[in-house]
Amino acid sequence: MVKKNYVEIIVNEDRCTGCIICQLWCSYVNKKQFNPYEANIIIENRYGLSPKISFLESCLHCGQCAQHCLYGALEYKEVVD
Amino acid sequence: MDWKGYTGNILKIDLTVDKISIIKQNVDNIKQFIGGLGINTKLVADLIKPKIDPLSSENVIIIGVGPLVGTITPGASRTVASTKFPATGAIAYSCGSMSFGFNLKHSGFDHIIISGKAEDPVYLAILNEHIELIDASDIWGKDIVESTNFLQKKYSESGVIAMGQAGENLVYGSLALIDKTSTFGRGGLGAVMGSKNLKAIVTKGSRGISIANPKEFNQLYRKLFERIRKYPQRESWHELGMLRSLPVGMILKASGQHKKARQCSERVYLKKLKKRRIACPSCPMGDKDILELQEGNFKGLINYTSSVINPFLMFTLDELNTYDEAIKSFDLVSRYGLDSLTITSLLKFCTHLYEKGILTKENTGIEWKSDYRTLVQLIEMIVYRKGFGNILADGWKSLAETYKSVENEMLTVKGLDIIFEPRLLRLGTMEFEQVVNPKGAHVASGGSPTYLGAGGSIEKFKMHFDRMGVPNSAIGRLFTPPLKEMVVNVGRLTRYSEDWYTVLTSLGLCARAQMNRFYGLELVTDIYNAVTGFNIQSEELREAAERTWNLLKILNVKEGFSRKDDKFPEEWFKPLKFGQTILNFQDFFGESTITPEVANQLLNNYYDERGWDKIDGIPMQSKIKELDLEKYS
Repeated sequence: MVKKNYVEIIVNEDRCTGCIICQLWCSYVNKKQFNPYEANIIIENRYGLSPKISFLESCLHCGQCAQHCLYGALEYKEVVD
Repeated sequence: MDWKGYTGNILKIDLTVDKISIIKQNVDNIKQFIGGLGINTKLVADLIKPKIDPLSSENVIIIGVGPLVGTITPGASRTVASTKFPATGAIAYSCGSMSFGFNLKHSGFDHIIISGKAEDPVYLAILNEHIELIDASDIWGKDIVESTNFLQKKYSESGVIAMGQAGENLVYGSLALIDKTSTFGRGGLGAVMGSKNLKAIVTKGSRGISIANPKEFNQLYRKLFERIRKYPQRESWHELGMLRSLPVGMILKASGQHKKARQCSERVYLKKLKKRRIACPSCPMGDKDILELQEGNFKGLINYTSSVINPFLMFTLDELNTYDEAIKSFDLVSRYGLDSLTITSLLKFCTHLYEKGILTKENTGIEWKSDYRTLVQLIEMIVYRKGFGNILADGWKSLAETYKSVENEMLTVKGLDIIFEPRLLRLGTMEFEQVVNPKGAHVASGGSPTYLGAGGSIEKFKMHFDRMGVPNSAIGRLFTPPLKEMVVNVGRLTRYSEDWYTVLTSLGLCARAQMNRFYGLELVTDIYNAVTGFNIQSEELREAAERTWNLLKILNVKEGFSRKDDKFPEEWFKPLKFGQTILNFQDFFGESTITPEVANQLLNNYYDERGWDKIDGIPMQSKIKELDLEKYS
């Protein structure tokens, strides 16, 4: 039986600081430019009292956004089936 | 030219004739001045005529961001404003952060030149290629939080520079806030905006930034990011923010104010105040705060601040008795667009004058009580220039002219209040730079290993000197102070602090110690080359910073500033009673007392290290020629 690995991204919105490093890295990796509007991860109300984090359907679940979050808002978890 | 890192565009706004145009950047200028503070300084040199009234339509505001802003380079979100500041009359700069610079860059601009005066209040909107001056009657008369909320509701996720009623009423101690959080323009930027009928600037950009050499950038970035990830103090910075850098509670305790000290503790901050940590774009060391009062008379109050230290420093005012009163009055001051540090110092000094009988109920028009209501009354008198408040609204110089006998007691340099008290913190470069900074008491370029907690040993000093790009030939001089027991020569070292911080500010990198500790001159040169595709040497970057600083000085020589203005406050040479302790003006290691003679020697050393004339404290012709600045002298 072949074991299958996949990545889980755990979201903790209350720990988001609005630094948008996740969006910058995502757009850089996928679109070759730094541009939050080209990222597959969406941060809304980033300096408000309750930021919202969501993902576009085009997200590849590579988990690189979570690997670049140092605040614990996105956690990278590799799951083995 | 295919610009990378830079957008290559400068936006030009003439408010008088409502004219908007775009100028292309010049590569030769970029090589000489880099960007951010450097190009800003060149632009004020080209556009501001000497001796103009800072609150006239002749003054010009330059807003600028460096070439790394808008990328993922950690901490690259700095915005610089250069203008002639009313508080001191100096042509100088001020920095802020949050999302304005990022959005300006993504709209397609490196700098904005704002000249003239609008006939009626306007705000400037920069939304990619759509640029417009818009009637501001909806927000004129409103405070900064109301104005910013209005604009960010209209333009979601935008960056906003806004001033408050203090700016509208041309108060010299006014500033602007970026995203209602980051202070921007100590020394009266709010008033300069007010004099131009410019309430705010809003920008939202989505053009994206691409870089020249991704392969090299990736290598540099991954290595840097791992260093930041592994930094043992990272999480405590995230938890405590700026409270980690200056535990105000300890200072209050040492001063004998135990009850207040307990209210500024880490516990009170974490349990009763901290709502959310926020960070500038690209910053992995976020330290900005959203505070929320959870109890007391002002329960539910929300305050955004770039440093929780600022409201706690306001708490040192006798008029404030509880921490929630301190947060409430800080919030009030911020909303009006006043500099909380200047207001705190001014009101402390006025309380001192009241105790001496120089200020009275008769000449101020108020019953001076040590309570919150009196403080609010005074703040409103300043903002709206009512009665005695009108004198304070014109700042320290106005107060000195009105009460000449107490001028020598003021803790000011060139008309701006000091921020770092060396009798408490000893004489590091932050404290010394307040004396020589062309703007007046300003600390933005004074960081070095003498920053509280950063240095200590000779080995650490040497490591930081290397990081800052101090040439080997200078090391011997830096360890030759006027008195042997001082170990390090703070006067000479300040020259290299200024140059290093000018590099950071020209590239767009954060100046705060917890962020810039990860950078050194070699690394920022490599990142700059990878982002822009240029191939410059670190020495060229350092020389561009030196050129910028010298040009800033030349501009202020034309304004009439010289060595006579680089004056240590006389009070520093007198003992400071601090609780039960008497504090004296001492060197960084606390081994010797700084006398006026030693202070003068340090000044001589600073000018010598700069290649400036010691008698007048200004750049010599040889230095001006070396830096190719003859056309400005």
